[in-house]
Amino acid sequence: MIIWQFTEQAYHPAFQTPGSMRVTLPQHLCDPAEAGRLLNRYLDEYMLADELGLNIMVNEHHAAATCMSTSCMTTLAILARQTSRARLLALGIPLANRSNPLRVAEEISLVDTLSNGRLEIGLVKGAAYELFMSNRQPTGFMDRFWEAHDLILAALTNQGENFSWEGEHFHYRTVSMWPRPIQQPHPPIWMTASSAGSARGYGRLGYTCATFLSGAVARSVFSGYREAYAEAHGRQPGLDRLAYLAIVACASDRATAFRRAEAMKSYFTTAARLDPQFRNPWGFNPVEANVRMLQAGPSAMRPRMRNGKPVPVDGSIEEYMDAGLMFVGTPDDVYEQLARFNEETGGFGNLLMMGQAGELDHADTVDNLTLIAREVAPRLAKLPEIPLDMRYEAVG
Amino acid sequence: MVTDALEELGFGTLSALDVLGTQIELFTAGEGAPLLFLHGIDGIEGAAPLLRELARDFTVLAPSHPGFGTSQRPPDLNRVDDLGYFYLDLMDTLGLRRSMIVGSSFGGWVATEILTKEPDRATGLVLLSPLGLRTADRREQHVADIFMLSRQELNARLNRDEPALSSLPEARLRRAMRNDEALSLYGWTPYMYNPKLADRLHRISCRTLILWGEADAIVEPAYRNAFAAALPAADTSLIEAGGHRLHADQPQALAARIAAFAVG
Repeated sequence: MIIWQFTEQAYHPAFQTPGSMRVTLPQHLCDPAEAGRLLNRYLDEYMLADELGLNIMVNEHHAAATCMSTSCMTTLAILARQTSRARLLALGIPLANRSNPLRVAEEISLVDTLSNGRLEIGLVKGAAYELFMSNRQPTGFMDRFWEAHDLILAALTNQGENFSWEGEHFHYRTVSMWPRPIQQPHPPIWMTASSAGSARGYGRLGYTCATFLSGAVARSVFSGYREAYAEAHGRQPGLDRLAYLAIVACASDRATAFRRAEAMKSYFTTAARLDPQFRNPWGFNPVEANVRMLQAGPSAMRPRMRNGKPVPVDGSIEEYMDAGLMFVGTPDDVYEQLARFNEETGGFGNLLMMGQAGELDHADTVDNLTLIAREVAPRLAKLPEIPLDMRYEAVG
Repeated sequence: MVTDALEELGFGTLSALDVLGTQIELFTAGEGAPLLFLHGIDGIEGAAPLLRELARDFTVLAPSHPGFGTSQRPPDLNRVDDLGYFYLDLMDTLGLRRSMIVGSSFGGWVATEILTKEPDRATGLVLLSPLGLRTADRREQHVADIFMLSRQELNARLNRDEPALSSLPEARLRRAMRNDEALSLYGWTPYMYNPKLADRLHRISCRTLILWGEADAIVEPAYRNAFAAALPAADTSLIEAGGHRLHADQPQALAARIAAFAVG
């Protein structure tokens, strides 16, 4: 298992403001000088991750105090020059919210060449609430996603003459990548899943499949992926095709680790602060998905603890740990917790690690990343492979 | 096609109509001259109180727009402009050469899209709190953005008692989700209007009545002026104690007004 450092780059001073953290939060609450200091600090921490031998993951959101990175490719363009070893993962680019997929392909090519072929690209559905900022049509969202995907792949991989594109949603007279990407046929592609159903689709395509903060559900996501991959490709996927995202708080002693975890927990409590009408814009989800969701009730989507109960949003660190969303303690503790979770989920090769989250400050983040890189990462790199026949008997 | 039983529409018949291969849910009730009713953002079920009253004087024909209720939608039909053409086909299918046309809210927009294309298809047109003209000018909004409102706030502004969605029987829940989806398809952006409509409205040649609710919490008074300017020959009045859903708030007064208008 390898580790990718990830932070949402929050503007945490706004967390004290009551109410929603996204869409409706007015921008006058942002002190731009403070935002600049924080963004530079987060970049410093990404550079440290590179020095420590960790990889890097960047995301983006819009109109949100919880995430100031509004363009993963802009952030990665900086890191392409300022880092030297790390793989650089954009997870991800919200494709169906982008009006211009050709521009997406150009940015991918630019960052891939700048970084000498270290880019990995996540093409994601994105957060539903961002339709209010992109103002793209909610209906037909996934049709648009897949057409953008097809166009971007065609652009990145083109070895022949320039071509034109007359699709259902996108229209171009000529497609020509200057520069074109270093990695051929294209940089590795990632997608995200929270159910076995969507994971199967990615398994067939052979893309890397990540699941975020899903706890026990990760096991069914991974097994869905493996089944579909094996059917389509005639062999089992490598562990490098599977990824899990969680918060890790590590320190030399447990008391400090738990204090850090408390500072990071505001990631969960602030992410939940969003007015309900923005969670699921009309027309965004297919009708049948909405029917099932409403019948299942609001707690159905919450990650669950070992006793089967959903984690409360303001749950304790122990409850978040129990659900597999946080890994907290000394390097030994964190290693043991991750090794156990790895076994329970059938094994995955990428830990997308929120090594900074919420209000965790710079000094704590530096120590957290350093300890994990020096004392946990080398052991995770040598995790024993789980025999295939054990994978489906695991607890979870 | 199976149409769901809708108890509030028990006074008429729900049936399926094939319009050039598209199955449309059609509610019919009453006797008399034909009246085509085009529903608003709350579906035919939301218009039940007015339809019941209209059925005393008219043969009411109230289809669910493509994508609403249980009506199918052809994949490339995604604009209200397209709905205008679709309804001309629907009228042809019904053998309805001319008819009274009443459209409420979103359905008022649909009515104008039909009649700007073939102005002679209506004996008279009644627009109830219609949408369809430009709803905002840069930062100034004249029509509340229903997609930005919480369900609770929306129901309050529509003066509607809607049970919690999760408590609805599956078929009703599916209708509600289909109605929301269709409204988002037709009205997300540009928000609830066709930028071409203002320059086409002069083609509407039949007698026209425009009614607005005095207490409309969706449409601001300034918006009424745009319709008055684009349809200068129309009669316009305000209905007291009526909100955006005039068809539910003032069904009897409204039906009487429409019946009187129909006889001229």
